[in-house]
Amino acid sequence: MPSDRYQEVPLEDKLRLFEQVKADPRFDDYLYGCYECGICVAACPSARFYDFSPRKIAQTLAREDVELFYEQLNDDIWNCSQCFSCVRCPRKNNPGGLITIMREVAVKNGLRSTKQALAGYTRIIYKIMTTGTQVSPDMLQEDAFPDWGPGVKEVAQNLALWRRALPPETLHTTGLSWDVEERTKQELYLIWKMTGALDMIAQLDEGLHDIMEEVMEEALEEGGWSTH
Amino acid sequence: MTIASRLLVIGAGPAGLEAAAAAADLGTPVVLVEAKDEIGGTPLAYYATLTPHLQETHEAMQGMVARVRQHPHIDLRLGTRVVDREGEAGHFQVTLEDKAGKRTVEEVGAVIVATGFQHFDPGRETQLYGYYEYDDVITLVDAEAMFKTGRIVRPSNGQPPERIAFIQCVGSRDRQIGNQWCSKVCCGIASKQAIEFKRLLPQAKVFIFYIDMRMYGFWEDLLYWKAQEEYKVNYIRGIVTEVIRKGDRLLIKGEDTTMGRPMEVPMDLVVLSVGMEPSAGTREMARIFGLPKESHGFLATVGEPLDTVSTPVPGVYVAGAAAGPKDIEDSVSMGGMAAAKAVGFLNRLKVAETV
Repeated sequence: MPSDRYQEVPLEDKLRLFEQVKADPRFDDYLYGCYECGICVAACPSARFYDFSPRKIAQTLAREDVELFYEQLNDDIWNCSQCFSCVRCPRKNNPGGLITIMREVAVKNGLRSTKQALAGYTRIIYKIMTTGTQVSPDMLQEDAFPDWGPGVKEVAQNLALWRRALPPETLHTTGLSWDVEERTKQELYLIWKMTGALDMIAQLDEGLHDIMEEVMEEALEEGGWSTH
Repeated sequence: MTIASRLLVIGAGPAGLEAAAAAADLGTPVVLVEAKDEIGGTPLAYYATLTPHLQETHEAMQGMVARVRQHPHIDLRLGTRVVDREGEAGHFQVTLEDKAGKRTVEEVGAVIVATGFQHFDPGRETQLYGYYEYDDVITLVDAEAMFKTGRIVRPSNGQPPERIAFIQCVGSRDRQIGNQWCSKVCCGIASKQAIEFKRLLPQAKVFIFYIDMRMYGFWEDLLYWKAQEEYKVNYIRGIVTEVIRKGDRLLIKGEDTTMGRPMEVPMDLVVLSVGMEPSAGTREMARIFGLPKESHGFLATVGEPLDTVSTPVPGVYVAGAAAGPKDIEDSVSMGGMAAAKAVGFLNRLKVAETV
């Protein structure tokens, strides 16, 4: 039975996205064929906690089931933790890699479900793309990480002091995971821009994209780089 | 009584042809009896191409056929059946009957039965999947006839099919039908045909509904992976429960078990992967030579797994699908082994006679 979700979306839209996934140069290397052995699901940590199956991702693409593909593009792909335990596939498929491609297509096309899935990550995207670091020490607040126990509160109260106790000077930071040199940042900005990673954000969050672009342009100009 | 030096081979399919040629090459005179007017057996009569390399059957078998036709030690009797037997090992008197009803009695020292299989008839007892009801439900054999012409169409309207489904294990692995065995070759043949459908109709969608895919040895990647990866054939684990008419198409109902959902999908052409049963000739030879059958109704052998060709009746050997489902590789191998056993048996009788 074909998927009956997203029936309001015209088939040609689904096909267009499917073709974008298939056109990715990595696709042929990530998908051969699936005989449904289940080793990927057995190895998958997400499959233990969510209604998620890397097998179904590979199977759906191999079967060219466009309707189910579209459903997965909206719902399933964000349940993957991209750990790549699934690459033990005896057919040499790479379900996690297929999901990477699907995510990129979902982001590039600014799907509504993708915007929703990533809405809570705006701050993280901003932090990663402008600083190259993700979780910073000052995010470790008691209310955000209750499962880390009472120690979190104590650390948070005297965070700067605790950080200064760490031997490497580059870790004496609170707003960033570590000190990121200007030149490193500039190199990252160049990579984001030249690989098109920055442009991917445009469909997802125009405001965020514009802010980041401004930050990057300015820094690159200061550093004397030309991206043109 | 002098030991008869000749060997009788019954059936001129791959097993019988190899048995006859091998025994003749070893110096034993052979009488080769074939009920049909042509040699080559079921593959040559019905199959356009062979697994796993998809060679044209005539081309692949022409050497084997010519070798037997030209062999000076082989006495080939076409259009001839074995109708009676008297005597035993070393002294069988076998009555042969040609199409005109003319009978001759031949004395032979040993016998190789290579009378093969017949395809399961999907309407023999219970109507399965509307084979006799819908023109667009065909069997693997009917599909081969189309491949011989190189033109693939729906029998109902002469149009090329857009959606084609194979249903596996029709008449096999089924306690209700009474055939509990796997017929061994149908997974490979269906995969071969799926590739051929896609070569002739690249736009068609081809599905194979299966219980387990049984792709022995090199068939795994030569046929199964190839069909899946290069030809995008859809393998769906789940057996179709019924085929019904919907408009001018066929609706097939089943479960897509690995996706965990029921399925009702339209098809233009449905191919039933019919299995193997002992042929009428095989059953008749069991009666004439007093050969016990194994539990599935094929001819029993005594030394398995190390001796695949010796029957419980001294001097009588079996080769090929008369002993159970076999691919051509196995049939030909058994033919050679049966020839070696039979020639060795005759030689031992002669030695005993001279001592």
